[in-house]
Parts: sequence; structure tokens; C-alpha cells
Amino acid sequence: MRALLRLSAGLIVWAVAFCAIYALHGIGCARGWPDQTILGLDLQRTMLAGVWMMFLATALAVAAWLSRSRAAPIDRIARATGWIGVAATIVTFLPILAIPVCR
Amino acid sequence: MKALTLHRELTAIWRTEPGWRGHLRSVNHSDIGKRFIVAAFVFFAIGGVLAMLIRAQLATPDSAFVGPEVYNQLFTMHGSIMMFLFAIPMFEGLTMYLLPKMLGSRDLAFPRLSALGWWCYLFGGTIIVAAMLAGVAPDAGWFLYPPLSGKTYTPGINSDVWLLGVTFVEISAMCAAIEIAVSILKLRAPGMRLDRMPIFAWYMLATAAMMIFGFPPLILGSILLEVERAFGWPFYSPELGGSPLLWQHLFWLFGHPEVYIIFLPAAGAVSTILPVMARTRLLGYGAIVAAVMALAFLSFGLWVHHMFTTGIPHMALGFFSAASALVAIPTAVQVFAWLGTLWSGRPRMKLPMLYLAGFFFVFVLGGLTGVMLAMVPFDAQAHDTAFVTAHLHYVLVGGFVFPMLAAAYYWLPHVTGRQRVMRVGEAAFWLIFVGFNMTFFLMHLTGLLGMPRRIDTYSAEMGWTWLNLLSSVGGFVQAFGFALFLIDVVLQIRLGRRHDRDPWGADTLEWAMATPPPAYNFASLPTVASREPLADAPDLALRLARGEGMLATARHGWRETLAVDMTSGAAEHVVVLPGNGWWPIATAAALGGFFLSMLAGLYWIAPLFLPVVAWLAWRWAWTNGRRGDVGAVDAGAGLMLPTSFEAARTTGWWGSVFALGASATLFGSLLFGYAFLWTVAPNWPPPALVTASAVVPLLAVAGAAAAGWAMRRGRPLAALGGQAAIVAALAVLLAGAPAPTTHAYAATSAAIAGYGIFHALVAALMLAFVAARTRAGFHSAARSGEARIVQLWSDHAAGAGAFAAILLVVPGWLA
Repeated sequence: MRALLRLSAGLIVWAVAFCAIYALHGIGCARGWPDQTILGLDLQRTMLAGVWMMFLATALAVAAWLSRSRAAPIDRIARATGWIGVAATIVTFLPILAIPVCR
Repeated sequence: MKALTLHRELTAIWRTEPGWRGHLRSVNHSDIGKRFIVAAFVFFAIGGVLAMLIRAQLATPDSAFVGPEVYNQLFTMHGSIMMFLFAIPMFEGLTMYLLPKMLGSRDLAFPRLSALGWWCYLFGGTIIVAAMLAGVAPDAGWFLYPPLSGKTYTPGINSDVWLLGVTFVEISAMCAAIEIAVSILKLRAPGMRLDRMPIFAWYMLATAAMMIFGFPPLILGSILLEVERAFGWPFYSPELGGSPLLWQHLFWLFGHPEVYIIFLPAAGAVSTILPVMARTRLLGYGAIVAAVMALAFLSFGLWVHHMFTTGIPHMALGFFSAASALVAIPTAVQVFAWLGTLWSGRPRMKLPMLYLAGFFFVFVLGGLTGVMLAMVPFDAQAHDTAFVTAHLHYVLVGGFVFPMLAAAYYWLPHVTGRQRVMRVGEAAFWLIFVGFNMTFFLMHLTGLLGMPRRIDTYSAEMGWTWLNLLSSVGGFVQAFGFALFLIDVVLQIRLGRRHDRDPWGADTLEWAMATPPPAYNFASLPTVASREPLADAPDLALRLARGEGMLATARHGWRETLAVDMTSGAAEHVVVLPGNGWWPIATAAALGGFFLSMLAGLYWIAPLFLPVVAWLAWRWAWTNGRRGDVGAVDAGAGLMLPTSFEAARTTGWWGSVFALGASATLFGSLLFGYAFLWTVAPNWPPPALVTASAVVPLLAVAGAAAAGWAMRRGRPLAALGGQAAIVAALAVLLAGAPAPTTHAYAATSAAIAGYGIFHALVAALMLAFVAARTRAGFHSAARSGEARIVQLWSDHAAGAGAFAAILLVVPGWLA
């Protein structure tokens, strides 16, 4: 079971990030966060970007951890899925940088 | 001589009884798998006839062939049958038939569960088709969107047929998913490490996991919609705080992974057949496994791309659009690995390869239009037009039907032991291929010209006439192709000559046996050291038949196979599987009674079937286990292993882990619905909240703690008391809650409490069972597997019950 968890770890980080950021986006829009500012920045976008960076750091840490073990073929696959998790965490949330938040 | 003796002894243990008794009582995976395949094909034929009726209606403008009421039933039933009664059961059947043989096992992990799934599928599918014959088929589209599917706009039982029939069939899908996952992880040949598994097993492991986590949202959504229709709980009614969009979220949370749930088994067949046709090994095994894992996850992040035009904010759409485009990459990795395999081998254009060529052409085109539709601006233009219909048929027919036809021709010699008789299959291919592209390529154009989906007719001035007529002609050409395919299969079964074992020169274990296969698959189990066991030992089949592998014995009348360590594939224990029996069909019949009573609106009769189901489950489980310790048994190759009666982590334990994972997903989906309505739906906050003193949730928490503590000390009756406390606490909260018909808040709160109560009652039943079994002498220090399983269920019920109780009172405290 540990081998399967290692195989899934990077993608699990992406999945949790997806749920968290989508939920946060919905809550923020419902509560009017885009109309509030923090340090001159749109509160909603800043929150989303912060959470995104937190998950990206986690995904990177998981990928680095998975990359340490290269003994068995299954470890090489786990390393690949770890880096897929990083790539997915970057690409999926790029809209945070550019797209209108709640329109 | 030893081979013949072993064959006779094992056949006596594993055989299916002759006649109707065998049909009703068999639990053998080959029997069940073949039944699924045949029934799925029958449903495919029914769905195909409906498609022809649709095309007849649309062939000319202002058609009076059928009226809009009938037409609505035609397209709804076509989609529903193809998705729920053809595609899923077809790959389940193929997998049930093949998987144990590929893995080097004698059967699946839970043979009776397979049989239960089969009967639920047959009964549920029959209900749906019978409703169509009675003229009350579902007619709100295969996705059954409310409010159209609600009581106001569909007052008859049409939507109930869908909701209850499909949910009944989904029991079968959940059974299959758990069965497949546990079988792959535990019932493999010794030495078959994870990275030595046949590639098909990886695909099916991902598919099974996706089903376990993908189907519960649909099951939940269906339960909620049926409860709204039957009892007026307003989950989807905006005037009372509900939202039709909640249904769309729950439906597509299932619906998009569903596309990959259908595609992955077919891709698994492609990855298995293609290297054999190319006379080489699969290129990029590790890359394909990583791509399959990526698809299994990423496909859960796409569901909103079916809802791009529902008014969801652009940034959220952006997340789903990005994920939708991203998912093309792991798909492309597989396509390039397949092309590389062909390039590195010496392909032969046998019939399965011809169908694979058709798959490449059609599926890649479908993938490309998928990337187009993943882009929000394009989707906003093409949404709900025939372009989308064309795209989804390119993906599903290209990604599933063509590979399944290749699989049929590839594995039919295994099932029948016979060769093809004439070249009818080639003619069938060209009719299907040309007919399909003629039908659906043109529908891209009709869609781009603005023709909406699901309209029953159009006027000549729209300019769609010739395209529609040609699409209809193509549809009938395709139908002739499928009829020829059926004729070809019948000819092979009736007239085909016997062939040598392994006619394609494949290297996977399903060919290391006689064809058609004996009921026990392998007279002795192989030990494998690579991904191509037959390449390592071409005479493996004969050696296994002679009993030169593991478990080369027929003792005590036991149906034995081996369980292995998940990762290393080291032999762990000898699994003793149950034999044929009445329990699966009896349980399915009792469940059928429940669903039919609900369908008939006999809401006071329906609950009476639940104690019957509980009694049957009790008696079913009572047939397991032994009253005395067995100790280690000889597994062959000098290994003495414990039996499943005395193993610590049995297949049942793992099956329970997955079943509870599915249940937790359903609960999570319910919590998502609760949060979604609270955040997004109109007419919130609710007029009244659940009110209760802090003592009530504390009672639930104390009950949960007591249940957990008692189970760890081997006191199931004390744990039962803890579960009773949870039920009492949730019942008190329900009594103090506003009526569920008054607002979606009250309805979801009642649903959350209902989940907790239901699970606590199930856990209580299991705890009583364990106590009774201990008294009857079925348990000892060594035989503790059942108690461990029940502990899982009890812990889950305790955690969910306590959480539900706290969640229900928090809004009242915060207000």
C-alpha cells in the first residue's frame, strides 16, 4: 500500500490543492473579498495566490522526496508522478494571475 | 496422467452446476464475465436501434416519424443505455473474465459479490428497458437535469425510472470496482511485483479506483433527486434554498471521470493487444503507468467543463479549462508509446490490428475536438450543438467501441477455443468505420452551422437537410456493420475450427491455459519473474497443467488461490473462496423489491425489504469462516502458508477499506452540497436552524469514543451500545430540526443525520454478528479477521456519526 501511496502522493497534493483553491474561490466571491484590499492588493487574488504557492511548495517537496529513492522501477514511476503533480499544480492555477476573479 | 487427475479433481470443485441451477447459482468469474458481456451487447443493440430511430427522425426536415414526447425518450434512453447498461458493464465483463487469468489467479477476490453485481445489473437494466416498452421511459436527457426532471415538469414516473434503475445498476458497478481493485492488489501470481503486472491490470486498477471515488457523487445526487421527487425535500428547488446547479456538479463530478472510466479499460486492451500485433514488447511501460495515474487524478478536475455556460465565474472556469487541456498530455503519452511500439515492431494487419487502426484515427480526432471544447470561448459558441454530440461520439466510439471490437476478435479464440471462419470481420470493420465517420464527421459541420442537440425536428430553411440525411445514411451503414460483426461471432462460435493454444503468440498468462478455459483457470499457479511469463517459459501452460506450480492440489473441496503482498508479490496466504450459492440472486431480488416498491410509489412497503436484505447479508456472511483453527497448509514449492481463515489482513479487510472509501466519498459529496448551497444558492440563510443543547452532540461523541474503545478490547456488544448512543443523538437532533420540506438547509441537515444513522445501524448489525459468531465458536486468537473488518465499519460509523452531530448544531450556535 505504501508503494501505491508513493505513486499517488504528488497527484494527491494537486487534488487537495484543486479542492482547496476552488472552495476558497467560491467562499471569497460569496463574501465579497475581491472588493477588499490587503497591502494595496486585491484580497481574493492575494489569498488564492498565497494558497497556490503553499501547495506548489508542498508539491515540490513531495517530488523532491520521491526523487531521493531510485532503487526499484516502481520508484522511478513514483518520481515521474511526483513531478507531474508539480506541473499540474503550476498549470491548473495559472488563471489566478490573469483572469477576473468573480465575474 | 497426473494432469488429468488434477483436472478432474479441480473441475469437481470449481465447476458450474448444469442447467438452470447453474445459471442461477454460479459465482465463477468466467461465467459472470461472459454474462456481463452478452447482456451488455444486447443492451448495445437496443441502444443502437434507438439511435437508428433518432437518425430516421432527423433524416428529413419537418419529420413526423415520431412526436417530441417519444423523441425525448429515444435520445434519453439511447444515452442512458449506452453509458450505464453497455459501456460500463461491457468492460466489467471483459475484466471479470480476463483479470484472474492475466494475474495468474483462479478467481476474483469476492466471487459472490460479482454474482450479486450481475443480478443487480440484470434486474436494474430490465426495469429501465421495460419502462421504455411501457412508454414511461426517462425523457429528460441522459444527465436528467432538474428542474426539467423534477416533479413539476416530469410528473410521471419517467425520471424515477432513471433514478432508481440507474442507482440499482450502480450497485453492480461499485461491487465490480471493489472486486477488481482488491483482486489486482492481492490475488496475483507469486513473484508478480507491481511493476511486473500486465499493463491491463494497471489500467484496471486506476479505473476501479476512479469508480470507487467517481460513482458516489452520482449515487448521492440520484438519492437526493428521488427524495425530492418522492417526499418534497427541496435540494434542487431554488425557491426553498436549493439549486439545480448542485445536481449538475454532482452529476458531472461522476460524469467526467466516467469518460475516462470508459476509456481506460479500452486503452488497457489497446496496450495489451498492440504489442502482440506488432510482435514486440510495449514501449514505455513506466511512462504509460505514470500517464494512467495522471489521468486517474486529473480527470476529476474537469467536471465543470460541462458547465462552462452556467454563469460560474471566469477564474473558476479557467482552472477547469487548464486541467481539461492538461489531460490531453498523458493521453498523448499513451498514443506516442503505442506509435513507438508499432514503429519498433513488425506489425501484422490481423483483424484486431485493423480495429486498432480505426481506434487511432477516430479517437485522435475526438481528442482534438476535445481540446477545442476545453477552451471556454469556443465552448460558449459550440455548447449544446451537434458539434458536441459529434465530439463525444468520436471520443466514446473511438476510445471504447473500436478497442472493444479489437478485444473481441483478439480474445474470442480464448473464450471459444475456435478460429474465425470467413473474412466477415473485415467487411464489418469497413462498414462500421465508414458509416461512423459519415454519421459523425458531418455532425461537426451541422453543429457549426448552428443545429442544437436534442431537437426533434427542423425546418428546411435552416440548411441542415443534406448533412442530416447523409448522417442518417451513415448511421444505417454502421448498423449493418455491427450486424455483420454479430454474425461473424456467431459463425465463429458455431462453425470455427479448433485452434492451437495461444494463437497470437502472446506472452501474458491468460494464454497459459487450455481454451476454452477450465473453471479453475490454472491446475497449479505460476510463479513469475518478468512481465512476459510466456516468453520466459513457452511451455508454462503444460507445466502448470501437470501440477508443477503452486497449489497443485484439490483438498477438502476448497476453492483455493493465493494472496500476495501488494508490492513485492511474495506469497502471503492461501485464500479459500466461497462456492456457488443462492445468496447473490436472493439478495439482488430483495434489493429489486425495494427499488420496485419505490418506483411504484409504495413508500410504506419499500422499507420492509431492508430487513430482508439485512437478514440475507447475515446468512450470507455466516457461511464464511470455520469453527476450528486450520494452521499453515502446504502451498507448494516448499511453502507453508496460513489460510484466509487465519490471515490478519484478508481480502475482505481490503474490500471493506475500499467500500468505506466509497461511502466516505458519498458523505464528502453531501458535505460539498451542504457548503455549496450555503454559499451559492438563493434564499439563504434559512428561516430556522437546528437547535439542541450541547449535551446531544456530546452524547454522539461519547458514543463514538465508547465504540472505538470497546472494539479495541474485543467487546462488540459494548461497541454496539456506543453506536446506539450515536443513533439516539442524531434522532434527537432530527426531532429538533425544522421539517425537511421547508428549506434546503433542513433537507441537507436531515440527509447528513440520515447518513450517520444508517451507518451506525449497519455497524450495529455487524457488531451483533461478530458477537454471535464469537459465541458460535467461529473466532479465536488466530481467526480474528471478521472482528478486524467490523472494527473498520464501526470506526467509520462512529467518526461519521460524531462529525454529523457536531456539524448539525454548529450553525445554531454561531447564529
